[in-house]
Amino acid sequence: MLPLENVRVLSFGTGGVVPDFGKIMGELGADVIKIESRDNLDFMRTIGPDINNIAGFNEANRNKRSFGINLKMEKSKGIIAQLIEWADVLAENFRGGVMESLGLGYEAVRKINPKIIYISSQGFGGGGPYSNYQAYGPMLSGFSGLLSLWAQPDDPYPVGSNAPIPDHMASKFVVVAALAALDYRRRTGKGQYINLAQTEVAANMVGEYYLDYTMNGRIPPPMGNRVPYAAPHGCYRCKGDDRWCAISVFTDEEWQSFCRAIGNPAWCRSPKFADLLSRVKNADELDRFVEEWTSAREPLEVMETLQAAGVPAGIVQRAPDSLADPQLKARGAVVELDHPVAGKRLYPGIPYRLSGISALRSVRAPLLGEHTEEICRKVLRMPEEEIESLKAEGVLYCASVPER
Amino acid sequence: MQRGEQGALTGYRVLDLADSKGAFCAKILADLGADVIKIEPPEGDPGRRMPPFLNDIPHPERSLYFLHRNANKRGITLNLKTAQGKTIFKRLAGKADVLVDNSPPGHLMNLGLGYSMLQAVNRALIVASITEFGLSGPYRNYKGSNLVDFALSGTLITSGFPGKVPCMMPGSPAYDAASLHAAISILAAIYMRGTTGQGQFCEVSVHETSRLGLYPWIIPNYSYALNPGAPPPTPEVRMGASIYPIYPCKDGFIRVIALTPRQWDALVRVLGNPEVLKMPEWRDFLYRIGNAQDLYFLMIEFTQKYTMLELFEAGNREGVPIAPILKVSDFYQSPQSKSRGFFVELEHPVAGRGAYPGPPYKWSETPAVMKCPAPCLGEHNEEIYCGELGFTKEDLVALRAGGVI
Repeated sequence: MLPLENVRVLSFGTGGVVPDFGKIMGELGADVIKIESRDNLDFMRTIGPDINNIAGFNEANRNKRSFGINLKMEKSKGIIAQLIEWADVLAENFRGGVMESLGLGYEAVRKINPKIIYISSQGFGGGGPYSNYQAYGPMLSGFSGLLSLWAQPDDPYPVGSNAPIPDHMASKFVVVAALAALDYRRRTGKGQYINLAQTEVAANMVGEYYLDYTMNGRIPPPMGNRVPYAAPHGCYRCKGDDRWCAISVFTDEEWQSFCRAIGNPAWCRSPKFADLLSRVKNADELDRFVEEWTSAREPLEVMETLQAAGVPAGIVQRAPDSLADPQLKARGAVVELDHPVAGKRLYPGIPYRLSGISALRSVRAPLLGEHTEEICRKVLRMPEEEIESLKAEGVLYCASVPER
Repeated sequence: MQRGEQGALTGYRVLDLADSKGAFCAKILADLGADVIKIEPPEGDPGRRMPPFLNDIPHPERSLYFLHRNANKRGITLNLKTAQGKTIFKRLAGKADVLVDNSPPGHLMNLGLGYSMLQAVNRALIVASITEFGLSGPYRNYKGSNLVDFALSGTLITSGFPGKVPCMMPGSPAYDAASLHAAISILAAIYMRGTTGQGQFCEVSVHETSRLGLYPWIIPNYSYALNPGAPPPTPEVRMGASIYPIYPCKDGFIRVIALTPRQWDALVRVLGNPEVLKMPEWRDFLYRIGNAQDLYFLMIEFTQKYTMLELFEAGNREGVPIAPILKVSDFYQSPQSKSRGFFVELEHPVAGRGAYPGPPYKWSETPAVMKCPAPCLGEHNEEIYCGELGFTKEDLVALRAGGVI
């Protein structure tokens, strides 16, 4: 048995947030149907030459079925209404106002299914002047204030990362919302509407700096890699091109272990580094000494030498490091899935384990419209002739798995 | 609850043994109405030592990190190393639905409070264990930190300017990602318990969850680039400034998300159709990444004519996402935050008034609300020990003197 067996999810998602939500609901056992249109593609299907062969899309859209339908055609309305009746949870992250313009806002949907749990996730959230603004993760880290803190003190401006933060944190909050709302509904029979703002997820990740503003009246400056309670603390250059190892030394005990692990060079005995306060004060000098040691070594050697001595250290990983990571390997944290178009590819595995479940679900992403016919037959109980005519009229879109 | 409001998780009791690493997990559950009791050792959660501090004065009730991640919880002290402390803990566990823990592998087991022992007391109990690297594998006893875990997640190499040292993200992103996944596994187990009546043990490793919570595309992007005939995979390196470029404007900086040719055309319109940007090559995303430096110097001539807000609004009108890089003060004061009521004022007995970031979502039936500030050390000892477990106030004196609470 899987936790969400018998839970049905309808996903009107694009990009990162709701697709990743659906992936997780699917891995927990829910039957997730992704509503997709060939004429208005999930933009993650458009960032490569083949809509079915894109890494980010095929990562985020695992564990679900794809139903191809043109929502702008009149005949789609009845079909979607039937799926709304079928669903327990509906989640969407279109630009604000799009679901309403399709006649699929919460008020319309609850008339069809009063017990539905309807979750909207937008960049800026509903109920404000920017509710209908289009948004991508890297914009939201900027808008939320998070990016303003994400720089070295001498950077001309903060650039943060090319990772779409906070998208994949927001998607987990959508899962939290769905699970808590499902449990509430199981106990009370009541559904509800939940509206998430992705900027507010980002702000929650740096909440202490909001309190720094609202309680200390200070606009916090960017911090870079230093902290006032540990030294050495930073990324240190290692042997190779753009290779680094992160090291954090908190306590005096860890400092002693660190010194022993690197062979007790003379500078370790300098009074400038004797206690935490001195190390923090003399961090520039300390960092130069530490880097002398690290830069002659591979990042893996730095990490394992220090960790063996009880000092927190970790490679600043790139993809090949992740694939070689003995811990990820030992725990089966990278999985291979065979996709009919993309072939055998690697994906991160499910990062949590439940003792009552031997294996959560792990299924490759669907082709666009791969399950349209199956859903028409088994969920909608549609006669074959109707399926054929809706296909011919362009209301439904089906794909069959290519021969290999 | 205030105003008679019920949260989605009202009625569930959560025991929170987590320190600064996993504190966000039970906060997420508390925001939804769960009755979270934070259990601290008598000397206090080490998370109370995390900066920044109110008025920069280190003090157990003044850590802003602690105050944010422990709001909406109640708090008691209990020394799990004493025999009586263990007995009391088992009584609490007997009535609880969930236990959140982020101690190192084997720690609770060595105290005689491992999952099997707790299961014997309460078979419906759900125990979530957050550890740095998980409970198995060659790195299981390795240590982590905010920075080390972020480095290992694969996200740090993408952060900062090319050629410079990779730059840490503010906050504790790897731990928050682990906390969110722990909350998911707990809620899945609660939902399943509705059918089975049984609790479960949820195992969450920061090393694995940070990747999924921050940047899950690294491995698939790399794996897909190994296609036969495809160009060799380019390492993921600090492209924040070229893929999502940042330009100065009149009163700050903006970030531009122009991925498609249509979005680029919209950007050119936003900037007043300058001839120099109409060169057809610029419409190509990869060409722009390859010539990001040149483009930067062309662009700033035009972006600096406008304010952040003008560009934000014009971008929305024309169809290209443009974001102002706001300071925390700007986001706090933004009309969007105001109209959503995102920041909520709470009064803490020691730290005083402050506006806290609220839960990131609005619920129509079961509101997610900020009810109370983080507990002072041992604030609810009397409420729980006397009110629920039947101890007298004199007992508390003895328990305190004996180092139990």
